[in-house]
Amino acid sequence: MKLKQLALAATLASFLVGASASWSQTTLRIFTGGQQRPDVMRKIADEYEKRTPGVKIAVEVGGATSEAQQQYLNTVLTSKDSALDVVLIDVIRPAQWAAAGWAEPLDAYLGADKAKVMSQYMKAYADANTVNGKVISLPYFADSQFLYYRKDLLAKYKRPVPKTWDELMETSQIIMAGEKNPNLRGFETAGAPIEGTVCTFLVPLWGEGSDMLKNGKLNLDTPEARQPFQLLGRLKQAGVMSPNVGEIVTDRIRINFQAGNLIFAQTWGYVWNRSQNDADSKVKGNVGVAVLPASKTGKSATCIGGWQLAVSAFSKNKAEAVKFVRYLSSPEVSKMQAIAASHLPVFPSVYKDKDVVAANPWFEFAGPIVETAKSRPVTPRYQEVSDAIRSNMNAYLSGTKTTDVALGDMKKRLEPVFK
Amino acid sequence: MKPSKDLSERALGWLLLAPVGILLALIVIYPVGQLIYSSFFTIRLTEPWLGTPFVGLENYVKAWEDERFWGALQNTILYIVITVPGSLAVGLGLAMLANLPFKRKWPVRLALLLPWALPLVFAGLIFRWFFDFKLGFVNDFITRFGFDPVPWLTNPMMAKIAICITIIWKSSSFMALVLLAGLQSIPKSLYEAAEVDGASKWVQFKEITLPMLVPAIFVALIFRTITAIQTFDIPYAMTGGGPGDSTETLAMYIHKNTLDFLDFGYGSALAAIMFIVSIVATSGYLRYTQRSAGRD
Repeated sequence: MKLKQLALAATLASFLVGASASWSQTTLRIFTGGQQRPDVMRKIADEYEKRTPGVKIAVEVGGATSEAQQQYLNTVLTSKDSALDVVLIDVIRPAQWAAAGWAEPLDAYLGADKAKVMSQYMKAYADANTVNGKVISLPYFADSQFLYYRKDLLAKYKRPVPKTWDELMETSQIIMAGEKNPNLRGFETAGAPIEGTVCTFLVPLWGEGSDMLKNGKLNLDTPEARQPFQLLGRLKQAGVMSPNVGEIVTDRIRINFQAGNLIFAQTWGYVWNRSQNDADSKVKGNVGVAVLPASKTGKSATCIGGWQLAVSAFSKNKAEAVKFVRYLSSPEVSKMQAIAASHLPVFPSVYKDKDVVAANPWFEFAGPIVETAKSRPVTPRYQEVSDAIRSNMNAYLSGTKTTDVALGDMKKRLEPVFK
Repeated sequence: MKPSKDLSERALGWLLLAPVGILLALIVIYPVGQLIYSSFFTIRLTEPWLGTPFVGLENYVKAWEDERFWGALQNTILYIVITVPGSLAVGLGLAMLANLPFKRKWPVRLALLLPWALPLVFAGLIFRWFFDFKLGFVNDFITRFGFDPVPWLTNPMMAKIAICITIIWKSSSFMALVLLAGLQSIPKSLYEAAEVDGASKWVQFKEITLPMLVPAIFVALIFRTITAIQTFDIPYAMTGGGPGDSTETLAMYIHKNTLDFLDFGYGSALAAIMFIVSIVATSGYLRYTQRSAGRD
């Protein structure tokens, strides 16, 4: 009997101890995509846990592509699930998140500091994270698309870094003919029906000096709107682009580039670090990064990217979550990311940091590019816009639709959104 | 004879059925009702300022005029028409094979079970790598014989073929399991009698095996058809509906409208249409099973 009572008391006591421990302990759950270097996020979270007793960070990883991540988040958030506290979202999403009421607006938390805090960021990112005057999220890292090239191959054939798409095609053909490697292709960009393929369409369009929208209205009845199709069609026809471009997702470009199978690639900032440091990279030390080519008459343009930190409106630990977000969106963390993952900083000051430049010599010219990078159309119905562009671009690149049909279908689907 | 006893027995019957009834109401009737109800409203999470006004049949009219819906429906029907008979034929072959008098039965049964036990999306991902243009096993194999590599997943025709092959691979093991159970219930004496009468193997198959197997075939067909109408995971993992929308199924288009575009009104209308399609497609089988039940 005594023993039983003792056991009961012990159980009770241990329960109480456990409970009191969990009272003082907050666990924040942050969601990130597999491509946004969750390993680096984990290291940053470890650092935060060290300085903030009582807070534990759980990193949840999901979705290989931006839209796969958002589809998952859509199910979590439409059911008002409180499981996630902080979510890493693509630069194209704040408008949708604001409209759906999924992000806790941060204005009240920033208080009087709001203007000061927001002015530290590059303007493009301060703008991207503010919807109708409200701060929806804070930037984690910047990004834009660049032209990656093989320094060794260009040197071997004495070719300059191409400034126009025509030069890129010519150089590719010369090198491919010279190398006689059946696996070597000239150029690759995303062509699968994924988010990245939207930039595959927009970059050459912008390079022509045109844009998809003009004063909020659809502007695709122009000769320039046909150019992205014509250009990519020519590259594919000539064998500079692989016939399977229709199945290329973002990370496949990095894999192919790292395997030494590409001369040029249109892709994001993270590829630099991976191609320099991955054990299986065959192009270490031979990677160059430059601005994307333009048309003969146009000006080079690129797609803005990057990932933002939103606090879920359904989180039960909003105050703690905002503190963590403030830390993640600080120059200190920006520097850590730049060195560990070649994630582009969102603070102009970090680009000039000595350690950052040592790890990423190309950041010096990358900063101005990111600052002038263009954003994809901003609308809460962005998913429909993206789907219209990517599925028609994918159909064209796979050779199942002609320019007229693909462009016509794209317009037909975009019209209801921008009417 | 005693009405009071009858009544209490009936009450007991209802009482025993009640838990199942409540469960069904909660997990089937309520969601289906809710779905049909929402299909008459505009519910767009991307534009909450529109409110959720009642729009009558507007969402259905939109579907009627939506080319992409018709394309998705057409693809779904194509997958049904090809993969249901396809997996029946392959499944029957596998079942006959597994029914042979093996010394050890379990390795055969295990091999039969494995594709069925594999999650659909895994099968899709595995076959996507299989059919990959550059790194895929299939293209590696055919190029060794001097053929050009085939762009399996970026050509609408080839992508449909690749998806059908995958679905048949994945679903025929389930067919085989159901048919194997049917095969084993056929009395051996029938074959012995046929042998004595000098019937060939083919005649035995045609005159004994097939007719005796008909009930099992129908059960298998009903299940397979219902899952074929809902085809989602395999094309989603293999092509994402591409190239363009050429391999998109109705279930994928519903998913796109609801969970991608957050248009729950239109998505519900499409789902209600799919519900009707499944009822129509399976009612033929149901009528058959009812008739055969009445005959017994």
